[in-house]
Amino acid sequence: MADDKDVLRDVWYGRIPACFTLHQDQVTEREAEPYYLLLPRVSYLTLVTDKVKKHFLKVMRAEDVEEMWLEYEGTPLKWHYPIGVLFDLHASSSILPWNITVHFKDFPERDLLHCSSNSVIEAHFMSGIKEADALKHKSQVVNDMQKKDHKQLWMGLQNDKFDQFWAMNRKLMEYSTEDGGFRYIPFRIYQTTGERPFIQKLFRPLSADGAVHTLGDLLREMYPAAVTHEGAEKRLQVVIHGIEPLLETPLQWLSEHLSHPDNFLHICIIPVPSD
Amino acid sequence: MTSWKSHLRSQLSRRDRTEKLPFTGVFTRLSETQERFELRCQIWEEMHSKSLENAEVDDGRQTKLLHLQLRESEHLAEKLSQTVSDLTAVLYLKEAEIQYWQSRVSHFHKEALRLAKGSNRMKSVLSEYEFTVECQGKELVSLQKEKERLKETLAQVQRENDQLLQCWMDRRREEAYRVNEYNNTQERWHRVLRHMKKHKEKPGTPEIMQTEATETQAQSKTQ
Repeated sequence: MADDKDVLRDVWYGRIPACFTLHQDQVTEREAEPYYLLLPRVSYLTLVTDKVKKHFLKVMRAEDVEEMWLEYEGTPLKWHYPIGVLFDLHASSSILPWNITVHFKDFPERDLLHCSSNSVIEAHFMSGIKEADALKHKSQVVNDMQKKDHKQLWMGLQNDKFDQFWAMNRKLMEYSTEDGGFRYIPFRIYQTTGERPFIQKLFRPLSADGAVHTLGDLLREMYPAAVTHEGAEKRLQVVIHGIEPLLETPLQWLSEHLSHPDNFLHICIIPVPSD
Repeated sequence: MTSWKSHLRSQLSRRDRTEKLPFTGVFTRLSETQERFELRCQIWEEMHSKSLENAEVDDGRQTKLLHLQLRESEHLAEKLSQTVSDLTAVLYLKEAEIQYWQSRVSHFHKEALRLAKGSNRMKSVLSEYEFTVECQGKELVSLQKEKERLKETLAQVQRENDQLLQCWMDRRREEAYRVNEYNNTQERWHRVLRHMKKHKEKPGTPEIMQTEATETQAQSKTQ
């Protein structure tokens, strides 16, 4: 069970400084000042950018306003990915604060999902939690929860309340001692190249003979190129929450402590920055 | 602490030193300033609209400043009230968490007691089984000795049986030989008698017939 609470807190309270700038093509009544915000790594863009929207709407004409969307260096930012994942994938080697461009027109239908309200984010978030629990506990834990418990998970994320969230989430991190871990580890591996949005497959925390699977074991199975052999040049970094865990880190422990609030372990494979 | 865990902790700390800590103070201050600015703008608009409605009343600068301070204090009190409410909620959650962990401790304590009882019971059962195994081992040894003794006796009896059988077979063989000889003699005697009968019917040499009859009697006497 998750009991390294300091790690849980550090993961929850991870922040990325961001500077939001209105795109130059946007027509404004007066000059729009950039807006600065500390973004929670574990949250979603559309959940934390209300103030950004209000700030820029003040300088825009109502008839020029459509759905707001964000991009970084020409890449539309998918709101349904955790903020930390977006940063690690696209901007980890850039100078801080993270410069994000704001748009209110020409919504990229092929790249982004629409997000009309917070209920859409909530539905996506709860869907992730249920999918993760299906992998971990055959959905037994999440189905035993009441609706108010689900609501508590969502409200904890929405209002950035660590204790409120974990009071409920700890149930999703429990397992029986006989099993030794979850049934399968919920994970997604993201890469900057290729058509595939992410890699997600079934993977157990323990091997058939009871040996503990590590992050290295997962990568050797799912993304062998990310594991650098001795003597070879390291080309890729394996990043979770902006850090590179050692490959011998047990996968079960990672799932309990470094999962995002949706209970998935989001792993980014990025090229080693050339300084 | 295991190396991978300490590495992870240090990486998280380094990440925050790079991404969060240098910007937290500035961004927080900026946010607070923006909030205060928006509040003052709002108050200014309210006061301006009121002064337009009541054109004759001139509140004076001091009054406006007091009004502004009052509104800011109200806003601050509202925020503090929200903070108190949040901390109270956290307190309730912590109490619930304490109760939860206490119930877990109690559960594991009972589980430990149950397992200890089970362990003691199994130990006594194990010692009983060990005693039984020891007794059965001794019994097995004595039975094996008995078995060896009985095997030897059986072998001895079989040997005697074989000897008796051999002896009986020899005697039967001798008897069969004697019977065969007797039968052969009898057959020759009958042959001679038939021959004598034939000769009796026709005139023949009595000396040959006498010799044959004498040999036949001698053979039957020796048997």
